[in-house]
Parts: sequence; structure tokens; C-alpha cells
Amino acid sequence: MSYNQELIRNFCIIAHIDHGKSTLADRMMELTDTVALRDMEAQMLDTMEIERERGITIKATAVRMFYTHTDGKQYMFNLIDTPGHVDFTYEVSRALAACEGAVLVVDATQGIEAQTLANVYLALDNGLEIVPVINKIDLPSADPEHAIQEIEDIIGLPAADAPRISAKLGTNVDAVLAQIVELVPPPKGKMEEPLRALIFDSIYDNYKGALSYVRIKEGAVRAGMRIRSMATGNEFDVTEVGVFTPALRPTDELSAGEVGYIAASIKSVSETKVGDTITDAQNPAKEPLPGYKQANPMVFCGIYPADGADYESLHDALDKLVLNDASLSYEPETSMALGFGFRCGFLGLLHMEIIQERLEREFDLDLVTTAPSVIYKVMKNDGTELMVDNPSNLPDPSEIQYMEEPMVEAHIMTPSDYVGAIMELCQEKRGIFKDMKYMEENRVNILYELPLNEIIYDFFDQLKSRSRGYASFDYELKEYVKSDLVKLDFLLNGDMCDALSTIVHRDKAYAKGRAVAEKLQEVIPRQQFEIPIQAAIGGKIIARETVRAVRKDVLAKCYGGDITRKKKLLEKQKEGKKRMRQIGTVSLPSEAFMSVLRIN
Amino acid sequence: MAGLYVHIPFCKAKCRYCDFVSFPDCESMGEYCAALLKEMRLCAAALPRQTYDTVFFGGGTPSILPEGAISLLLQSLRDSFEIAPTAEITIEANPGTLDAAKLHEYKAAGINRLSMGLQSTNDVLLETIGRIHRCTDFVQNYESARKAGFGNISADLMYGLPGQTVKDHLDAIEMLYRLGIDHISAYSLIVEEGTPLYMDVTYGTESLPTEEDVYLMHRRGMEFLETLGYARYEISNYAKPGFASRHNLNYWENGQYLGLGLNSHSAMRVDGKWLRFANTARLQDYIRNCNLGQRPLAEAPQEIPRAEEMFETIMLGLRKTSGISEAAFRERFGEDAKAVYGAAFAKLKKRGWLLEEDGAFRLTEEGLDFQNEALLEFLPD
Repeated sequence: MSYNQELIRNFCIIAHIDHGKSTLADRMMELTDTVALRDMEAQMLDTMEIERERGITIKATAVRMFYTHTDGKQYMFNLIDTPGHVDFTYEVSRALAACEGAVLVVDATQGIEAQTLANVYLALDNGLEIVPVINKIDLPSADPEHAIQEIEDIIGLPAADAPRISAKLGTNVDAVLAQIVELVPPPKGKMEEPLRALIFDSIYDNYKGALSYVRIKEGAVRAGMRIRSMATGNEFDVTEVGVFTPALRPTDELSAGEVGYIAASIKSVSETKVGDTITDAQNPAKEPLPGYKQANPMVFCGIYPADGADYESLHDALDKLVLNDASLSYEPETSMALGFGFRCGFLGLLHMEIIQERLEREFDLDLVTTAPSVIYKVMKNDGTELMVDNPSNLPDPSEIQYMEEPMVEAHIMTPSDYVGAIMELCQEKRGIFKDMKYMEENRVNILYELPLNEIIYDFFDQLKSRSRGYASFDYELKEYVKSDLVKLDFLLNGDMCDALSTIVHRDKAYAKGRAVAEKLQEVIPRQQFEIPIQAAIGGKIIARETVRAVRKDVLAKCYGGDITRKKKLLEKQKEGKKRMRQIGTVSLPSEAFMSVLRIN
Repeated sequence: MAGLYVHIPFCKAKCRYCDFVSFPDCESMGEYCAALLKEMRLCAAALPRQTYDTVFFGGGTPSILPEGAISLLLQSLRDSFEIAPTAEITIEANPGTLDAAKLHEYKAAGINRLSMGLQSTNDVLLETIGRIHRCTDFVQNYESARKAGFGNISADLMYGLPGQTVKDHLDAIEMLYRLGIDHISAYSLIVEEGTPLYMDVTYGTESLPTEEDVYLMHRRGMEFLETLGYARYEISNYAKPGFASRHNLNYWENGQYLGLGLNSHSAMRVDGKWLRFANTARLQDYIRNCNLGQRPLAEAPQEIPRAEEMFETIMLGLRKTSGISEAAFRERFGEDAKAVYGAAFAKLKKRGWLLEEDGAFRLTEEGLDFQNEALLEFLPD
């Protein structure tokens, strides 16, 4: 039996990191008796260990709640929790498309941040009704009136009636629930139309296979139905449908307006992609829901096991992760220096870090990663065009007519005090200044066009440190532009180390070459011969350092009592050596590859 | 071949580079010697009987014990263990702790080798590293020892000391040669963490010679010694013909030895098993255990698996310039070293670090300089 649509409210929460999204969600669940208090762990919705630690949401999750309003009616709330990072903008937009309203949480001590603004615009684009809420009124530095003024000035939303709450203490959270009923419109999809369900996320369940998290726009879905993906044409038999309590609970049916999950013995989340429309295979809809696109990786790096023997384990781990993450891509790659590994593609830098961390933590792997790269467009002299995501695959310079690199449009929001420092940073990163607007007296929105390859290293960290943490930043991918790019190589004792090669702008090559050579000089252990380290562009050496030779490596004394200790030392030395990579005649510790990444 | 080692963990003052178990206070000396006598009897009863070919009183500074103590300990050793009539019996002595009376006592007790801690002939350097003696103390003690009839005297030298020059090191060698010393050990200084010298170097009150200079001291010192007729027979040891230390050679042959005293180590074949064991490093525990009639072991004896025993044999044997006899290896393990370590042999030969000659394999001079690196090839992957 379908639920009366008039009594359904589908919404999400938009907030900057740390502004209290998860805490508010927790309080709502408490007030609606969705989760018994004693079962509640702080921040219920963020379930992955890394999500909790970093205080961010990586996967969208959802929960169904029942709320009895002052009008005496019981309303069904579906809260969809969205990822909160610029890497996952597409996922966020699909989660928003599954809702009719968005609760906008603004920290009364900090005001609106760039990421929040970006998501508010996404929500407005998707036609969502915005319910502003002022949080953290319990803090001494809270200035709710100022935050309200900001919402009205910057977003242009009336916010005088916005509930002033403290999610942490539970103050006034019921007012938020009341406003959701009053301001967020009910869903309008027709039951009698052919099924159209929007996938806003998917997760892999060991027993049920890939689960699609869906919002039913029209029609209904139940177990036993044959469904079709409108993006791929693949068909599946539904084995179960259900809702989020937030634990999965099977139901008979999901109908227009509802939010829930579909299980259909799907092997991998890559077959149930975010943004896709599910329809009834027997009675298909004519048109898919708008907005589907393939989420393409933008940042690439090589991932290798520190110990070559772990290659298969790494392969298995990636196989498992990709079951749950359709935007992660990987393919086998071989490096002269690092042996067998994988070229992996990510949505962005955070996504890359999260995957690396999960591989190391959840699968207990020791990894060596190469410098991240973007995809470059290479026009060859023979007129063919090539996309290159690995410096090793760059053709010889003599074959290249020109190269192009991807640009992004970056919005940086900052207190006006830091404008100078931030513009300096953007200039260093080859940015092109586009626009600057005062949002209010001392808050500025700066618009820059920046090469993606300049922001994938340390841009975000630099931005934070130069603005004492106050600046926030959001970007979207723009077009490719011609650029004077060169491949920077490193030679150790005359042998090139492919895993250290990077593609950089010519103007930056000298400084980068010198910095990396110096760093290598520090981290390469001395060997029995002198090791020249050279940075080169094409055949030209642009920087040189030397690791001096070690003259002796022997224990002066070895008598009765030293023997056991000596044996242990040698075993340790051998273990360390096993973890070294052999580049021609030079042994390189895996830390060397990492340390090179940490160069400004 | 089997050796007996007796540890005397007392010194007049602790040298600034020293990280051994030794105590500058000598209050517990009497108690300690009494415990040693008990340990001898405990070990003799517990371990299989065999003939010991060498005895070594090491430290610490054994010569710090009052007159009569060493004779008593040695007599007690003879009572508990079978010591070969031709045994090499060494005592370590530091200049400044010896006198004619002690020397005569040692000689009379049957000690036939004296190992003296000279370290340097430059008094400024001796002061820097916290030695209690001056060069002249050594010369006087040396002359007395010769007068007392010692025909086999060794001296320890150190190089790489703060402020030391190549010339300092060569001067020391020359003086020892002129005195007619029989054996010289030349050790490269290792600045161990936690020692006063480590602090001196860390805080810059002392600075070490450059690595290049230390290497020169090693090379030039070695060449000079060989010219003077002292053949290098181990990484840090040089001797006139016939004066190589039999006790120490036994360590490098991976032979059996029994250590007595605080923190002393032992290796022994018992019921066909190759065992290593060590005494506690805590003085009070040592004395208490011995008094209770318990052997003062730090932990239960460790059985060394055959593959490790093989590696130990390589690790120690390749310290000797004569290397390892193929026949001796085969006799001990029933296998050819070359068959067991084929890959290591090939790699090291190619590198010019290993030679096979006259039924033995040994490291070349360069191989000896990089002995650690060479040994890694013999460890399993």
C-alpha cells in the first residue's frame, strides 16, 4: 500500500564541514524515536571509520523518520545525507535531485562558506525549497543575526524566521522539523505512470549484492519485478525492496515519492550508477530522468605494493573497493622502478587520499604511490590526438606538436584580510584572475581560473595555511587549454627512474627539479659508490645533487656477546633492503617516492 | 676447541665512549667474586665436561681486582673445569691498575697473555675519551710485564677519536712496534647512544674526524702495521707470526665457549643442539641467583636452528682474513658452503669481494670493508 504523498517530505541537509550536519541529523532521529538513544553512536549516519575521523561524509546515506506535526498528522521524513566535499559534487547533485527540500545549516559563529554556497546553488538548480537553520547558538561567539543577514544578502533567501538552534544540546530542533513540514513541498509523482526511480547512491552488501539507493519519482517497484537501467539497458530481477530505519528493512513496495533501496542480485555498484534511472522492463518509461552523466576520474596516480609479493592482495583489495565505489578506476601498470602495480583514477585529491587510506587500513597494505597526475591532451605532429594520464606514456617531445591541460574555475571565499595572500598563492599556481566580489564588508569571493595540475598537490593545504583556516574553496572543471608543458625526469646514477617523472609547466620545471633532487639527496641512503642525482628535461640536465659514497660498513668488534645482536641487526638491515627499489645500480627506499610528493 | 670467558665488570672510572656493563664503584667486588666461584661450580655440574683450550679474563678491568683474587678465580676454574696444559690464558689489564706484584701473581697463576687497553699514545686524546691513564703509565706497565716474564702482550688502539689525526694513529702504532709488542687490536670508535661521548658530539663540545679521515686512519694504519710485520688476521686484529689470539679466533670459528660472570654469553653444543645463552646483566640479580644456587641466566638457552648456525659460521668466519675452510664447513654441516650459498658466492665474486683459494673462501680487503653488506647476501630472502 502506498503512503499518502501529501504526508511525505524528502529533504537533505546542506552544511559546511563542522557546521553540525551530522549532529542535527542525530537529534532529528532522536526526536522522532527513529533510533533508540542507547543504540545511538554519535553521528549515526557517518558509518565508515574514515568518515567519522575526518568528519566528512563520503557515501550518501538515508534514513526514514516519522514525525507527528502540530496538525496531528504523522509525516514520513526521508533524510538523505550527502557527501560534503568538492570531489563529490556530482553525487551531491543527484542526491539533491532526489529531494524536494534542503535544510541549510549555517554556523552562527562562522557564516556561509564557499562549499555551502556551491551546494545551495546546486539545490536551487534542482528546484529545491531551502529551509535555513542557524546552528551553534550555544557558543559564546555566536552571532545568529549576522548569519541571518548573510543568508539574506548572499543567497537572497528570506531567513528572519530561521530556527536558531543548538544541535549539540538539542535546543529548538523541533522547530526545524515543523518547518520541514510547512516549507518543503510534498512529492508530486504519479503512481499510475511507468516506474522511474533515480539512483542517488549505491553500496555493496555482501549478502544482497549491489544495492541501489533510489528515490521513486513515478510508479512503484516491488520484489519480483524485472527492472531495466535506462543508461545501460541492463535488466535485473528485483529480489527485495526496503527502507532505511536507518538499518535496511525490507518492505512490500516502494511507490512514487518514497525513498528506499532496491536489491536485484547486482554484482557490482558499477552496474548501478549514480544518476541512472531505473524503470519497469515490461512497461518502460519513455524518457530517463534528466542529469545522468558518467562520473569520470580527474586525478590519476600509480599505486604499488611496497613489497612486490603483495601485488595480488592489492589487486583483491581494489576489486573489493570498486564494488562499492563506481568512480574509482584502476588498471594494471608496470614501472621499471616499482614493478607491478595499478594506475588508479579518482574524482579528486580527497577521493585519492581516502582510497589510499582505506587500502592501508582496511586491507593492511603497505603502499608506494606516485605523484598524482591529471589527463593531458597531446596533439602529435602526425595529427593524432592522445590523452595521457601517466608521464611515462608521453611521446617523445619531437613527436609533439602541442599539449593541453585541463583548467578549473575556482571560487575562493575568504575574509578580506587574506585576499593578498590568496591571490599570491593563485599566481604562484599559474592562476588567471577572473573576478572578485565583496559578499559583505569583510568577506570576498574570488574567482580564478587555475590549471588542475596545480591544485592537485597542496593547493587546499596552502589555502588553509595562508588564510589561517578561514578561506574555503570549490571548483569545477572547465575546458582544456594549450600549455607549455614538459616532462621532468630524474636520473639516479645515470638510470632514469620512471616512477619519479612528472609533467610540469616549463616555468616551474627548474625549481621543481632542484627541490626534488635536493629531497632525494636527503632520503637516498648512501651506498658504496657515489650516486649522482640529476633532474632532466628531455636530454638536458637542469639540476644535480650527489649522494656521497660510504667508505666502510663493518662492525669493528664482534666477540661472544655481540653475536646475537649482530645477527639481529643484519636481519633488520636485510628486511630494510627488501623494501628498497632497485633503480639500475641504486637502491631507493619506498619513502623516497612519498617524500617527493611533499614538495611545494 | 672451547674457550672459557670470565667477566669482571668493574673499572676505576667509566670511559666516555663505554656502553658495556661495568661499574665504576668497586664495593660489590668481593661479593661478586664469591658469586663467580659459585657460578663456576653450578655450571660445571650442569654442563657436559670438556677440555677448555683458552681462558680469558675480560671486563671491565680484571686487573682492578685486589691482589690474590685472580689466582683464586683461576684456581677455582681449574678445580671445576678441565683446562688444557697448553691453554692460552689471557687477562685484560688497564694501565694504571697494574703493578709488579699483580704481574708476578698472574704469571705464577699460569696467565700467559696480557691484553692492555692503551687506546692512544696521545695524552690529550686519552683525556678526551676519559681514560684514567697516560701514555707513560702504559710504557711502565709494559716494561714491568716483560720483566715479569710475559712473552705475549697485546695492546688495544682506537681510531676515529675526537681530535685525532692520521698521524696520531700512526705514531701510536710506531711506538708499540718500538716497544716490541706482539699483537695489536685497532678498533674504529663507535659513538654509542647514551654515552657521555655521544652527548659531547651531539652538543658539539667534541667533534669527530671526517669519515674520509677515519677511513684514512684505517687504511694507512693497516698498511703500516703490515709493513712492520703485524699481519691482519681479523677485521680489527693484527699479530706477529704465532701471536694471533686463540681465544678470539675461537669466537670467529663459531666455536664453543662458556661465559661466566655478569652478562656473559655462551655458545655450546649440548646433546647435538647448538645453544646460546647469556647471564643476566643486573649485578644484584646475578649475585642473588648464584647465592641461591641457581644459574644466573637472563633467559632459557636458545636453540639455534641449523640454518642460523650456518649463517653465524659465515658471519663470524668471514671476519678472518683467512676466511672459512671449505673442509671445516663441510665437516660441521655435511654440506658444501658453495652449494648452500651459491647465489651469494657468485654475486660477491662478481663484485670482487669474495675469493676462493687453497680450499677456503674469504673476503677481499674491499669485501672486509663492507662486510655487513656482503653478509646480507647470505641471509635468506
